Amino acid sequence: MKNDNRYETAAREAAESRFASHIAACLTESAETVAPDVTERLRFAREKALALARRSREGGQGVGVTASGEVIAGFSRSRWWLRFASVLPLVVLVGGLALIQDWQNRTQISVAAEVDEALLGDDLPINAYRDPGFSEFLKAPPNE
Amino acid sequence: MATEKELSDFLKSVEKRAWKRAVYAVRDDDAALDIVQDTMIRLSEKYADRPAAELPLLFQRILSNATMDWFRRQKVRNQVVRNFSEFESAAGKEDDFDILETLEALGGPLQSESAAESVSRAQILQTIEAEVALLPARQREAFLLRYWEELDVAETAASMGCSEGSVKTHCSRAVHALAKALKAKGIST
Repeated sequence: MKNDNRYETAAREAAESRFASHIAACLTESAETVAPDVTERLRFAREKALALARRSREGGQGVGVTASGEVIAGFSRSRWWLRFASVLPLVVLVGGLALIQDWQNRTQISVAAEVDEALLGDDLPINAYRDPGFSEFLKAPPNE
Repeated sequence: MATEKELSDFLKSVEKRAWKRAVYAVRDDDAALDIVQDTMIRLSEKYADRPAAELPLLFQRILSNATMDWFRRQKVRNQVVRNFSEFESAAGKEDDFDILETLEALGGPLQSESAAESVSRAQILQTIEAEVALLPARQREAFLLRYWEELDVAETAASMGCSEGSVKTHCSRAVHALAKALKAKGIST
C-alpha cells in the first residue's frame, strides 16, 4: 500500500515535470517571437545598463541615471559631495555666528579699554567718581 | 567579477523572458519594459562586480522586487489578493478532475484536440500564455522561476522569499491549474 502511494506520487511528480517542461518550451518559443519594437527597446535598455556598469567600474567615478533614463557620469559613487553640499550652509552659518560673536567681544573690549585709558590718563582721581558730592557737582548746571 | 561581455550575454539571454514574465504579471507591455529596464539598471549599478554565476538569481530577485514595486505604485495589490482567494475557492472543486490522466495526455507535443488543422501553433502559444498570465501571482512566479528559468527549488525559494515547501505547492497548483485550463480549451495530444 505504501509502495503504491510512493509510486503514485512519483508518477504524478514526473507527469507534472514533463507537462511543465512542455509549457516552458512553448513559452520560450513564444518569447523568441516578440515584436521588433520591443526587441529594440530591450536592446536599448541593455546597452544603457551596460554603460552604467562600465562607468561604475571606472575607478572613483560613479554614474547616475536621470528620470528619463539617461546615464550620466561624473558623480562619485558615495556621493560625498552631495552630503558636503547639504552640510555646507550650516557650516557657513555657524562660522558666521562665531565670527560675529568674536567681533562683538573685541569691540566691547576695545570700548572698555578706551574708557579705562581715559579714566586712568585723566588728572582727576578715579575715586572721585564714587564720591556722591562729585556726582551732584557734575549734574549741576555749569553756570551756578 | 563578471566581465562586461558576460554581463552583456547574460542580459541578452534573459531580457525577452524577463519582459514576458513582467507582461504576465502587470499585463501592460510598456510597464513591463520599464520594469525590465529598471531591473537591468539595478543589477548593473549594484551587482556588476559579482561573479557571473550569481547574476541569474540576483536578476530574478530584482525583477520580482521591481514588479512588486510597480504593483505598489499602482496600488493594485488588492487585485492580486483577490486572485489568490479566487484560486483558493476554486481549489476545492477539482474532485471530478483526474489530473494525472490529463497531465499524461498533455505531456506530449501540444496540439489542438479536435481541429488541429484550423488552430495554428501561434494560437496555441497565445492560449498558453494567456493561461499562464491568469495564474495567481505567486503560483505563476514559482512556476516560471522553477520551470522556465530552470532554477532549482532552493533557488526559487530564495528568489521568492518563501520556503521550499511553498515553492513545491505553488508549482504543483500552477501545473494543475494550467492542465485543467488547457484541457478545457481543447489543447491536448
